[in-house]
Amino acid sequence: MTEPYAVPVPKGYRVGVWEVREPIATGAFGSVYEARRVGDDEALASRAADAEALPRTAALKFLPTGTGTPRQLTHLRELVDREVELHRRLKQPRLIRMYDTLTVDDPARPALDGATVLVLEKAEGSLSALLAADPRPAAGPALLAQICEGLAQLHHAGWVHGDLKPANVLLMADGSARLADFNMAAEMEGTHAYTHAFSTPDYTPPELLWSEIGERGRRIRPSADVWAFGVLAHLLLTGSFPLPGATPTARRDAAAAYARGTDDLRLSPELPDDWREIVRDCLTRTHADRVGTRDLLRRVEAAAGTGRSPRLPRALRGRRSRRTTVLAAATAVVAVAALGYGVSNWTDTDARGSGAGASGAGTTKVTAATYGASELRTDKGVPVAYRRLIVDSAHDCVQPEVTPALIAALLKAESDFDPDLSDPSVGEEGEYGIARWTPSLLRWWIRADGVPAKETPKPPLSPAESIPAVGRYLCYMEPLLDQKGLSGDRRVLLAAAYRTSTKVVNNAGGVPPKYRDYAARVAHHLKEYTPPGKQ
Amino acid sequence: MYSIIVVPPPTTEDENHRTQIRMAPGERLSFGRSDSGNDLAIAHEGVSRRAGEITAQGAFWILSNLSREQTYVVENPEGAGEHIKVGPGRLDAPVPFEFSRIVLPAAGDLLAIQVWAPRHDYRSADGLDGATTAPAFSVDRTKRYFAVLAALCEPRLRGEPHAALPTVDQVVDRLRPNWPAASRTSVQWNIDYLAVKLRLKPGPEEADTGPRLNGKKESLVSLALRFDLVREDDLVVLTEPVPRRVAR
Repeated sequence: MTEPYAVPVPKGYRVGVWEVREPIATGAFGSVYEARRVGDDEALASRAADAEALPRTAALKFLPTGTGTPRQLTHLRELVDREVELHRRLKQPRLIRMYDTLTVDDPARPALDGATVLVLEKAEGSLSALLAADPRPAAGPALLAQICEGLAQLHHAGWVHGDLKPANVLLMADGSARLADFNMAAEMEGTHAYTHAFSTPDYTPPELLWSEIGERGRRIRPSADVWAFGVLAHLLLTGSFPLPGATPTARRDAAAAYARGTDDLRLSPELPDDWREIVRDCLTRTHADRVGTRDLLRRVEAAAGTGRSPRLPRALRGRRSRRTTVLAAATAVVAVAALGYGVSNWTDTDARGSGAGASGAGTTKVTAATYGASELRTDKGVPVAYRRLIVDSAHDCVQPEVTPALIAALLKAESDFDPDLSDPSVGEEGEYGIARWTPSLLRWWIRADGVPAKETPKPPLSPAESIPAVGRYLCYMEPLLDQKGLSGDRRVLLAAAYRTSTKVVNNAGGVPPKYRDYAARVAHHLKEYTPPGKQ
Repeated sequence: MYSIIVVPPPTTEDENHRTQIRMAPGERLSFGRSDSGNDLAIAHEGVSRRAGEITAQGAFWILSNLSREQTYVVENPEGAGEHIKVGPGRLDAPVPFEFSRIVLPAAGDLLAIQVWAPRHDYRSADGLDGATTAPAFSVDRTKRYFAVLAALCEPRLRGEPHAALPTVDQVVDRLRPNWPAASRTSVQWNIDYLAVKLRLKPGPEEADTGPRLNGKKESLVSLALRFDLVREDDLVVLTEPVPRRVAR
């Protein structure tokens, strides 16, 4: 690549025990250099005391997080944190390893001072370099099985990669593949995760093209990685992108047209039949139709003929030795115990519920009964059938006050979770359903896209309509409550505003006397439903 | 997944609330006087029965002039007179502007259809190609919406992370030296447009535009700051005349 390095580091530069050697690659945010271990000081001994010994060579990823960096980017800190967090929590055979993180302390070089350095397992090259080679690598299917295995390990542990593409698949000295670059990775919260608003156009699923973006970033599901895998598989097996077009923009438009149903998917005739089915099931128009990662892995392994312990075809080894000369002085890294260790290890972890391989969250399966358990207690009588609706509705709102426990407390106080509540006597229209909506008011909040419904909804009002609308309405009202001068818990005030209006609450300077009982009930249930340690 | 928004000429019914028609790539909208056979009927004697067609084409759009003798002018309202002419019978003429106004000459009146193309891409500092991880937003730093966004973000960028956001009137005052025609309406229009451009999760702002604007401004600013759409060195757009060409 000819683009300038995002972070120039001179050869021979010392960071901790590492001495920088040749540049390896650069991305938009950071640059990666080969480094060799030169120091042997106590720092090393203490640092690595409880970890495995540091290798002789590593890849150092420099991210310009210092304050003297010319282009100061606030979002960079967040990207770095995501990557480090993932490495800390997940160690899996198909994910590149992180040994350490360092911070450059060098006031003499303002461009480097304060930079974060990730010490990563050094790879031999990336899949994008392999793709540039002609003829196409014969090892494609075996590599795909390993990439898929990496995805399965990530998804299983509750993370989404968010930026799967050839440049982020690294090839190790033994020819095996590992996933890298977790800047965009995000941990799942329920059915989706929030990732940074960056993407690589050619690997972005159609539902994320021009998708809405909230303050927390864009919502992404594991199925986004599945789409990217489909694109990557097509590219690796046929040498062309699955969607037609000479430019990324043309392919993006083709993806949009395909998703809208105006165009069909025309995969390359070079694609073998079993792979055609797999790629087709990855590249479905909607995320809901895409194949799950587990099924995908099983089918990919069958198609690759790798079974449960991928063997590497000879062809790749042959190719690789030729590439070694190109990449210069690549030292073998980690005598890779990865092969044959992959899937079986991962399924073992699963059987035990949580364990060594996937430390951290996400190894227990989330069922409806425990959905959102960290924010909404499971033992206080919130009906299981509504948990998902309640938790997701609260997550859709950017205001921190709108929590699952608040929505649940409000529903409890309004209707005692009675979905069939019908009270035609109140006001002119009556109140209906689990959230006691007045139909003409619900009309403004019933649609997820924020547009009022064409007609006033007619009772009965289902929980699926009522609960998300409560989340939207509370979210709308939060900024309208006075910032100062109101007494009481803002969440309870919000519930009071739901019962009356923000104006009434603002004018009363708190909960109006008439609604004290209601507010007390909400406050009681709010406390009851909030897990200990959560505020 | 729309990429083009058409705002028809105002009618007497929607004084406060103008209809927006959202179009996805490949979708076609025909307009003309006749109620039947047109997706958008324009009730004016001077307009042809079948006047034309707008087709969304990726991030841009194309215009067909189906009238017999009228030339349509497509203006760039921020382009200092920049415009293109689409003669009678011309089919599928591409329009390059992010905002456009199609002016239909109609028996002495000029009717304007607005067309927005909020998905236009602009080169970011990091370049753009299919294999590079790119930010999901691309803003044109020469457009007025960028100046409005910068003015909204200014207090927080100047080092007060919890500073109150400027009111619309304060934004107008801040921008007036470089934009003499700035008004409450035009600034609010730009705020609404930014919400579309940055794909802010829509709130039911149609319900009532007054207080909701606060939430929208707040969301815009936090999004812009979080994703570095406006940085401290961008604040020069508030003091220097807006350059006519992309400078970065």
